[in-house]
Amino acid sequence: MASEDTQININDLSFNIEGKTLLHNTNLSLNGDGITVLLGANGAGKTIFLKLLTGLLTPSSGSTTFQSENLSIKTRAFVSQEPVILRRTVLKNMLFVLEKITSEKSTLAKELLSLMGLDKKEHQNALTLSAGEKQRLCLARAIITDPEILLLDEPTANIEPNSTTLIEKYLIQKVRSSRKIFFVTHDINQARRLADEIVFIHNGRVIEHSLAENFFENPKTREARKYISGKIN
Amino acid sequence: MNDISEAFVSSLGLILFLDAELLEIILLSFRITFYAVLISSILGIPLGAFLASTHFKFRNSVVSILFGMMGLPPVVVGLFVYLIFSRSGSLGWMGLLYSPTVMIIAQVILILPIVCCLTFQIIESLHTRYHEFFRSYRIAKLKSVIAYIVDSRFELTTVVLAGIGRSISEVGAIIIVGGNIDHITRVMTTAIALETSKGNLDLALGLGIILLATAIVLNSFILFLRGKYLKTPGSTI
Repeated sequence: MASEDTQININDLSFNIEGKTLLHNTNLSLNGDGITVLLGANGAGKTIFLKLLTGLLTPSSGSTTFQSENLSIKTRAFVSQEPVILRRTVLKNMLFVLEKITSEKSTLAKELLSLMGLDKKEHQNALTLSAGEKQRLCLARAIITDPEILLLDEPTANIEPNSTTLIEKYLIQKVRSSRKIFFVTHDINQARRLADEIVFIHNGRVIEHSLAENFFENPKTREARKYISGKIN
Repeated sequence: MNDISEAFVSSLGLILFLDAELLEIILLSFRITFYAVLISSILGIPLGAFLASTHFKFRNSVVSILFGMMGLPPVVVGLFVYLIFSRSGSLGWMGLLYSPTVMIIAQVILILPIVCCLTFQIIESLHTRYHEFFRSYRIAKLKSVIAYIVDSRFELTTVVLAGIGRSISEVGAIIIVGGNIDHITRVMTTAIALETSKGNLDLALGLGIILLATAIVLNSFILFLRGKYLKTPGSTI
């Protein structure tokens, strides 16, 4: 799947803990733009892979290199499955992640909250938001740091459908064109809606990497075919 | 029995008519407690937050020592501080023995580990929730420690109140280093001990009532706050 605009190279990346290998030697060349969906069953190793990309975990071996100078660890933002909300207002949660709070950033924070349907709740205690609203806040908080790469770990796993729709729509319409997105999910339908390319992970191994349309129409591996047909959960 | 009843009635009289001696002792007690808890909180809360959110080589040893210090015998602390500040001690030249200042120092040694360890316990649970978020956004250490303190501010109020309770009821250390000198270092607990031994039960009872009331009000307030914060989203109690 290597192409001329490939910007992210993963070389022999693996992760072991307590004698168990959770991610086996992985070699990939990924597109520097669009949405890459990390797809696989629960416990396949998707989150481990994402956290290795984020820098939250240190690989046991191998490395990730970025061809563009714009793509570095400082330009990555991570949103976890469980929203982490600070005990303060919605707006203060947004501004917390900034090194300097400028008037432009404050205006941007309000705009992002508006896009996420949270503009009327900016002075509300963020811990009183619904699960979906919290996750929308986390996404807006990630965007305000202006990351080149957005890494999302099943951000819609535990939230209501309208929030899922809003987040997906926002990612497709507003974010995809300007940032690289890694999106972890085990939801095949969601992967169909979002993915430009798919990295399919099974038992800690990346066993398929292809354009989304190719993956869904003509999966190469038996495990991918079984997963798409719902025989592996 | 009559003596006790009379002493009790007499002590209520001292309280109601704001007896000057009683008032002086109460005010000194509160002043020493205020400064001891203030200093312990200023030092202990950030230290507890730092220890809860930082991993370094001897962290577990430091935490174990601090937890052990929560049970320091007050008389041993009193003796230790006395030896340091006595005329022949290493800090004897400061001339602080038998002064409210040295009583505050002794109190700080007793309360600081309590404030620090209770803070550690509260912030450790918050750290479990926040640390990945802070790391992923590369939040500076100082900013993260401040955030831990700000976000557990309600729970930390109960830590401060626990410190006040411990400080105001302490007698063993401050009687050694303060000397229980009338009008200078006599506080509620040391006065109760002295007046009881002299048979002056009305003053001892009056002070006892005030001390008991203070302890009850503080503990009720702690329970009230706990109940209130348990209903607060994000509570770590």
